[in-house]
Amino acid sequence: MSSERVEVKEKVLSANDQVAAENRALLAAHGIYSVNMISSPGSGKTTLLERTVDLLKPSLRLGVVAGDVQTRNDAERLERHGIPVEAIETGGGCHLDARQVARTLALLDLPSTDLLFIENVGNLVCPSSFDLGESEKIVLMSVTEGEDKPLKYPAAFRRARICVITKVDLVPHLDFSTERAVDNARSVNPDLRFFFTSSYSGEGLEEWGGWLGERVEEYRRGR
Amino acid sequence: MHEMSVALEIGSIVARELAKRPGCRLTGLGVVVGAFSGVQIDTLEFCLEVVMAERYDGVVCEVKPEPGTAQCLQCGRRFQVSRAPFECPTCGMPALGVDGGDSLQVSYLEVE
Repeated sequence: MSSERVEVKEKVLSANDQVAAENRALLAAHGIYSVNMISSPGSGKTTLLERTVDLLKPSLRLGVVAGDVQTRNDAERLERHGIPVEAIETGGGCHLDARQVARTLALLDLPSTDLLFIENVGNLVCPSSFDLGESEKIVLMSVTEGEDKPLKYPAAFRRARICVITKVDLVPHLDFSTERAVDNARSVNPDLRFFFTSSYSGEGLEEWGGWLGERVEEYRRGR
Repeated sequence: MHEMSVALEIGSIVARELAKRPGCRLTGLGVVVGAFSGVQIDTLEFCLEVVMAERYDGVVCEVKPEPGTAQCLQCGRRFQVSRAPFECPTCGMPALGVDGGDSLQVSYLEVE
């Protein structure tokens, strides 16, 4: 019997993308602006979120989905700030996928949420491949990680529109050129917008929080 | 790191396509992996081998890399890139902006 070639041309992650589209529609129906925060472990996602939550809590109704390989530690830290938090423990999984987020959205009080933070598993590789249905992908890198992170992990920097460079209060102690880091990130994604923050000193947090607030308003108006 | 999940998803797509063609036996499989898809080709090949061998006999898997295309800001030359930094091979200038290289696709099956 002779072999026959059948064209398929199907995206491998089409099943995930389908659920992500449903998540996106559900979030849109409730007017919720959502951000998927991607970075390597230890870049300061949870601490930045704690500061951001304190800053925005008086004016916006917030929610957090906190992904971790194991433990509910990040979720517990964020719960102490008095906002609804749902944890996703992936049990070894190196990224969040759209199905996990769909199950978690069902647990949140969506009509009472304006802005949803999705804190992805600390990993700069895998999370960038999985659409969760978020409004915006945000990539974080801390100044202790090295300026070449965007060159080593181009997929994450290519798929995000926003890059937050964290821990900038440490720059005087390091051989880290913010300019070179930005150039490297722009070389893989010229459209990236940058924020420079320090959760320790508070530098840049007003601008970052202000931008998020504007995006929530803009998202609602565009609906 | 997530190549096994990717291989399992490919397994589901293959099973769905085969279900549309009763009586056909799978002999080959083609997958396209973009240079910036975040998937490691060697690892995916290994995972695919494992997933396919569990279900079918003697399937030949072809995993084809897909580069991206960059354009030099200095001389305008367009060139293929598969890893950062993106430097123009003619003038050595860093190129800004890369198109493509994001695919992760089952391109074909071979059946008999």
